[in-house]
Amino acid sequence: MAHPTQPGFQDAASPLMEELLHFHDHTLMVILMISTLVLYIMITMAMAKLTDMLVLDSQEIEIIWTILPAIVLTFIALPSLRILYLMDEVSDPHLTIKATGHQWYWSYEYSDYENLEFDSYMIPTQDLTPGQFRLLEADHRMVIPVESPIRALVSAEDVLHSWAVPALGIKVDAIPGRLNQTTFMASHPGVFFGQCSEICGANHSFMPIAIEAVPLPHFENWTSLMIEDA
Amino acid sequence: MAGEEQEKNDKGFRLPGFVDVQGTPCAREALLHGAAGSLVAGLLHFLATSRVKRSFDVGYAGFFLTTLGSWCYCRMHNAQLRVQQRIIQEGIKNKIIYEGSGLDPNNKPGPS
Repeated sequence: MAHPTQPGFQDAASPLMEELLHFHDHTLMVILMISTLVLYIMITMAMAKLTDMLVLDSQEIEIIWTILPAIVLTFIALPSLRILYLMDEVSDPHLTIKATGHQWYWSYEYSDYENLEFDSYMIPTQDLTPGQFRLLEADHRMVIPVESPIRALVSAEDVLHSWAVPALGIKVDAIPGRLNQTTFMASHPGVFFGQCSEICGANHSFMPIAIEAVPLPHFENWTSLMIEDA
Repeated sequence: MAGEEQEKNDKGFRLPGFVDVQGTPCAREALLHGAAGSLVAGLLHFLATSRVKRSFDVGYAGFFLTTLGSWCYCRMHNAQLRVQQRIIQEGIKNKIIYEGSGLDPNNKPGPS
């Protein structure tokens, strides 16, 4: 999860987020190289003797600084497009969950089971127990089985919201009257937090998303308990 | 838990606003190779031509190409290892699932 003054991404908890992290590192290294090149050229030009002040053009350098950026962009665009299309693949999900944004909480429906739906409100700061995270904990977490592809259908009841979980590489807009779909898979057990990512009113910052990935037997126990309690 | 992560980040070397050299796989090796390549290229050119400014340019070009080359090679190698790791994990998982069943490749049919 996130920690104070963290400058980079959270550790990846899904294969897609791993790919995004690798692409990000690759692009950042390319940017670093370009930045050092620009810095070097600036220093060189600042210390130059100005002996070529009347040179008006140069075909060679114009060709170089047209073709080289095109090559660099190709090296960035190809992995980017690969991941873009990878994100659109829907690989036979085992479970479908509908996440609906409200002012100011999320509700989850497990339509594959009967009567399994619940609301997820943020736990207020004064009600937190030691070890819980401020503004991130929810009273009812969305529980999913680990290493299973999950389809999430995201919508909203009132205004725009956005269902985001950075560790899983998810951000899906919740739009009233529209159903957006995403698929994801948690690679390992754990609790993954996110926050509403579309301004939606006074308590926009206080409607977190908490996803708990558990082994399948635990998930089945949880669904049985939830259905009994309903 | 959050404290441990912060400690790790405080100890890591991070180019200002850019790459987390300690935390990013291949970054440290690429930059070290680049620094070495830069020194070697610049020094060799200077020894051959005695031109200082041009040697600096060659040194920078050596840094650029060595860093990018080392980075791309290391990342590709890591990507291949990750693919192999996933194949092995799938194989282990399938072996456990199919062991003893008709789909187990190690099951030899008994005499009929």
